[in-house]
Amino acid sequence: MQHQQHSQPPLQLAGNFIGSPPESQGSSTEAPPKQVAVAMERLANAARLIADIRLGADRLLEALFIAGQQPHQIGNNKPVNLILQEGASMRQYLQDLRAIGRQLEDSGVLNESLKSRSNSWGLHMPLVCPDGAVVAYAWKRQLAGQAGASAVDRTRLALKAFTDQKRRFFPHLDEKSVDGPASKKQCGTHTSTASHQEELSDLKTVLDVLTDLEKDIPEVKTSTYQRLDWSKRASLLPNDTFDDLPKDHNNFQSSRNIISDSRGAITADQIGVIELLIPSIFRAVISLHPTGSLHPDAVAFFSPDEGGSYVHARGVSAFNVFRNITEHAAMAPQHFIGLNAETALYSLLHWICNYRTLFSKVCSKCGKLLSMDKESALLLPPVQRPYRNFSVSKHLSQNSSSKDLSMNDIPAYHIGCFPQE
Amino acid sequence: MEAQKNERRRRKFIAEIRVLHWQPNAGHTVNSQILAEVSQCVESINGVKEGKWKSTLSFYRPVVKEQANAAEFPRDFLGISLPEQPNKYYFVLRGQRLVVEADSNIQTIMEKLQSYKTRVALNFEGFQYQLGDFQLRVGKVVSIQSESLRGIVMEMEYKPISSWEKSHKIMGEFFDIWQEALSKRPLPGHFVHMEPNFGEFGLSGQYTLQHTAVQYATIMLQMIATAQSIRN
Repeated sequence: MQHQQHSQPPLQLAGNFIGSPPESQGSSTEAPPKQVAVAMERLANAARLIADIRLGADRLLEALFIAGQQPHQIGNNKPVNLILQEGASMRQYLQDLRAIGRQLEDSGVLNESLKSRSNSWGLHMPLVCPDGAVVAYAWKRQLAGQAGASAVDRTRLALKAFTDQKRRFFPHLDEKSVDGPASKKQCGTHTSTASHQEELSDLKTVLDVLTDLEKDIPEVKTSTYQRLDWSKRASLLPNDTFDDLPKDHNNFQSSRNIISDSRGAITADQIGVIELLIPSIFRAVISLHPTGSLHPDAVAFFSPDEGGSYVHARGVSAFNVFRNITEHAAMAPQHFIGLNAETALYSLLHWICNYRTLFSKVCSKCGKLLSMDKESALLLPPVQRPYRNFSVSKHLSQNSSSKDLSMNDIPAYHIGCFPQE
Repeated sequence: MEAQKNERRRRKFIAEIRVLHWQPNAGHTVNSQILAEVSQCVESINGVKEGKWKSTLSFYRPVVKEQANAAEFPRDFLGISLPEQPNKYYFVLRGQRLVVEADSNIQTIMEKLQSYKTRVALNFEGFQYQLGDFQLRVGKVVSIQSESLRGIVMEMEYKPISSWEKSHKIMGEFFDIWQEALSKRPLPGHFVHMEPNFGEFGLSGQYTLQHTAVQYATIMLQMIATAQSIRN
């Protein structure tokens, strides 16, 4: 962590720039590009300090949590010491942050009047926009039109982080009583019966969801990994280990984690990556965030014969067909989370499995399997399957076979055939 | 992207390589104009030229001291080298329904042994095109001795998956799309795909280059028959 020891006089923009802020005093000692560079560096340091503060807050919460778990242990001053330590660091960080803030204000970066200036040519010092993003030139920002989008993203991430932390450190604050907007947003098209809802809420862990998935769709093969273990696995692909794996239905953990066996079976809260393989058709990699949760945050599709370090949930296949599916699926995890965060993973995985008919199911609009996509000039099968109104409805019949899932065979479309809403 | 391409070449299995050959209409022969039209047609369906390809095929005849023994040796003995595996050489004995994959130095051995001599040698050469996830090869069949154009062949392959069964439908549609595109041009002939009875050669459902070798051997039979009918 750097301590800014600059004792420069406050900077002023060179006279050439129109609308130089009247607040900055003193002579300009450096050319504008250098000023920008210095200001960017200070902002970066500020960001680092903010990150440290966040981490410190995490540690404080953790220390409190631990202390709360073992009260009245004589001689165990560890939590107390941790708290004192973190408190001191936090105070230091906040002080440093204040110092940088003052420097930035003096150099005209963090300045209320600047932002309100509508007539500036944008040739000012780096701006800190209202939503916290930093840009070197305001006009660039306007051109990119990022303001709204990034604000929404940041809010969503902040909300997710907060909810996760709350769930972890304050589990006694019952989730059901603190209903977020997510579960209230049930779309009218959901046709799950009440008993199905109960079933879904029983799927508490990733392993439960995967077991249920394998029951519904017998041809899928699933496995789970810690995040770091996945990259080892990806480099070994493709291999045919799945054909040799014994299917041990009694011990779910062991049958799922044979690939990462060198470390022993991993527990549910260590799972960061899920792999779905429909043999000979595709391999999908889904990442969970945070690790161990039921929240998917990215998915990517690959050929079952692809292997290498680029095979991961944010990777891109070397083949056009899978690349296009990955693109189409980009917003699916968020969509399912937005509908119902608890069942998001369950729905997403079922939706993914619909692609098992990728090379056999004709387009529901034009009736053909292959079609030349005008934009990309590629011959592709129907790579788009809608997820907006997708729901996994099951018949609670005696003989649950894959035939019951035919209700879930959603239509398939070529890119150009997809119905516009 | 380069790293991806290199990692991609580790593919061990092929779904299917469909080999087609040009069947001229009755009374017509093959010429380089047809070849040019075919190549143009590939480019018209957004095929991107990627590079060259070449295979060689040799007809062998045994070197026998006594003519009487000649009948004991197989008459239809072909050797084929394929670009996917430059260090392998494939033998097909069509009459006996045998196909064998050997090391490419077998040719040197045969020469040293002087057991078989090359009766006819053909080159299949041309350009390779990428059409999205499909690969198309267009090649002319040229006799090495006379350098005359004997025919045109094409190879089609769907790269993303390696299951013959699963890619069968999509290959079929691609073949239809290709035939339809080509039919718009006034050409005196058409491409034909004849799937040999792989089972008779002891080949399984997983596609291998031995399947390709058998396809070429079958095509040769067809081309020879066509050439003979023209002569007659």
